[in-house]
Amino acid sequence: MHNEVGQFVSLSYRAVYAVWLRYFAVFRKNWFYGLVTTFAEPILFLLSFGLGLGSLIGTLRVGGVSVGYRPFVLAGIVGQTVLIQGFFEASYGGFVRMYYQRIFQAIAVTPVTLSEVLWGETAWGASRATLAASAVLIIGVALGDFSVLGALLLVPACFVFSMIFAALGLLVAARSKTIESISYPQYLLVFPMFLFCGVFFPLSQLPVMVQKAAWLFPLTPVLSLVRTLVLGFPLEIQAPFLVIFWVALLVPLSRRFMIGRLLR
Amino acid sequence: MQLSVPLRVTDLVKTYRTPGKPPLEAVKGVSFEVASGECLGLLGPNGAGKSTTMKCITGFFQPTCGEVTILGHDVHRDPREARRGLGVCAQDDNLDTDFSVLDQMVQFGVYFGINRREGERRSLELLRRFGLLDKKDELVEELSGGMRRRLQVARSLINQPKVLVLDEPTTGLDPEARRVLWDILAEERRKGLAILLSTHYMEEAERLCDRVAIIHLGKIVTVGDPRALIEREMGSVPVREEIRPGFPIERLPNLEDVYLKLTGARLSTGVAFS
Repeated sequence: MHNEVGQFVSLSYRAVYAVWLRYFAVFRKNWFYGLVTTFAEPILFLLSFGLGLGSLIGTLRVGGVSVGYRPFVLAGIVGQTVLIQGFFEASYGGFVRMYYQRIFQAIAVTPVTLSEVLWGETAWGASRATLAASAVLIIGVALGDFSVLGALLLVPACFVFSMIFAALGLLVAARSKTIESISYPQYLLVFPMFLFCGVFFPLSQLPVMVQKAAWLFPLTPVLSLVRTLVLGFPLEIQAPFLVIFWVALLVPLSRRFMIGRLLR
Repeated sequence: MQLSVPLRVTDLVKTYRTPGKPPLEAVKGVSFEVASGECLGLLGPNGAGKSTTMKCITGFFQPTCGEVTILGHDVHRDPREARRGLGVCAQDDNLDTDFSVLDQMVQFGVYFGINRREGERRSLELLRRFGLLDKKDELVEELSGGMRRRLQVARSLINQPKVLVLDEPTTGLDPEARRVLWDILAEERRKGLAILLSTHYMEEAERLCDRVAIIHLGKIVTVGDPRALIEREMGSVPVREEIRPGFPIERLPNLEDVYLKLTGARLSTGVAFS
C-alpha cells in the first residue's frame, strides 16, 4: 500500500475497521432511517415489477432457460439494489462527508491515514449495499424463486459487486464541484445502466448494437453473474473477468481522485 | 528512554502544483522546534503559509521538501507512530455532525485505538473541564459556535497528546469561552504539552506564547519572546496614534506594531511608527 505520495505505508486493517465502525455506529443510531432507506426501495420495486408486471408477462425464455418473470426481475433487483445503494451512499454521502462535514480531513490526522479513511468509506458503502441486496435474496429464497446455495454464494459476491458502485460513487464525489453536479452522472450513467443493462428485461430483447454497448457498463456482468448463481442461467464467461476489471480499475482510481482533491 | 524534541520542523517547503497554473510556493523553507511545555505562536497574514505549515506538520499534506518529526517520528514516513502523540484542532469546523457530543469524542478515540470504556472516561473528564458536560447527549448541530469550537479542542486532547497543533482556535469565541480555553491550555502546558498555535489575536499571542514566529510570504521573518521582539523591533518609544478623530493617544508599542511592521502592512490611517 502506498500513501498519498507513493511512499510505502502498510494498510492497517484495524484502522480501516475503526473507520467502518464510525459508519456502522451512525447506521445503528438511526436504525429506523437506515432500515427504511435500505429496504424500502428493493421491496417497492419487487411489488411493482415482480407482482404487478410479473402477472402480465408470465414466463420468459432466456438463453435456453425458461423462467418466470418474477424470479427474473427479482434477480435484476438484486443487481439494481447493489448499484443504487452503493452509488448513492458513496456519491451524495461521500460528498457531504468530504465537503460539508470534512470528516475525511478530521480523521486523516489521527493514526488513521487518508487512504485508510477512504477504504473504510468504500467498505461501508459496499456493506450497506450488500445488506440491502441480502434482503432481496432472502425474499427470493422465501418465494422459492432463488436457489438457496446460489443465494448464499451471492452474499459475498454482492460485496464485491457493491465495491464497484461504491467506488464509482466516491469517484463522482471526488470529481463533482457542487453537490448538484452529482446529478449528471446520476442521470447520464446510473439511470441508463439501471434501465438498459438487463434489470427488467433480457438483454437479448435489445438490438445487437445496444446489447454490445450494454456490456461496456459494469452492471451488465453483475446481473449476468447474479442470474447464473440464483437462477442457473448459463455462465457468460466474460462476466467474472469484467467484474474483476471494474473493481481493479475503480477502487484505486476513486481513492486517488479523492486524495487528489483533498490535498489540492 | 531517549528524550526527543516533541516537534521539530526542518527546512519545510510546500509548493502547490495545479495543472494549468504556475506553481505556488506557499511555504519557502521554514524551520523551528517546540519544546515540551512550550507554546509557540505562528502569526502572519492570511495566505502567509500558516495553515499550509500546520497541514504539513499534521501529515495531511506532504511537504515538497523538508522534514517534520513528532517525538522523533517522521510524520510522513511513519504517520501512524508520529500521530499517536499528536492532537490537532483544524481551522475549519470538522466535527462529526452525525454524532452526539460524547459519542463524537469516544468515536474519535477509536481512531487512536482507545477502547470505548477508556474513551468514555477520558471524554467525560474533558467535557467537564471544557464546561460541556451538560451537553454531552446533544447533537453537535444544537451547540453554539463557541461550544463547537471548545468541543473541537476537547476532542483533540482525547489521545492525551504530547504535541498539540491549534489553527486559530479562538476565532469566533466570546471572551469567557476564550478564557476557559486559555486556562486549559496553560494547565496542559504545565503537564508538558508542546503547543503550536496560529492566531490573528496579538494579545492572545502575547499572553499564551513563550515565543512567536511571524511568518510572511512563506518565510519566518522573525522569531522570539514577544516582549523581546517588541523591544528589538520597536524600541520603547511610545507610539502615537489617533484612534478616533480627535482622540490622539500615546501608548507603549505592542506585538501588533511588530507584526504590522514586519509583514509590511499598515492600518489604513493613523498608525505612526516612531
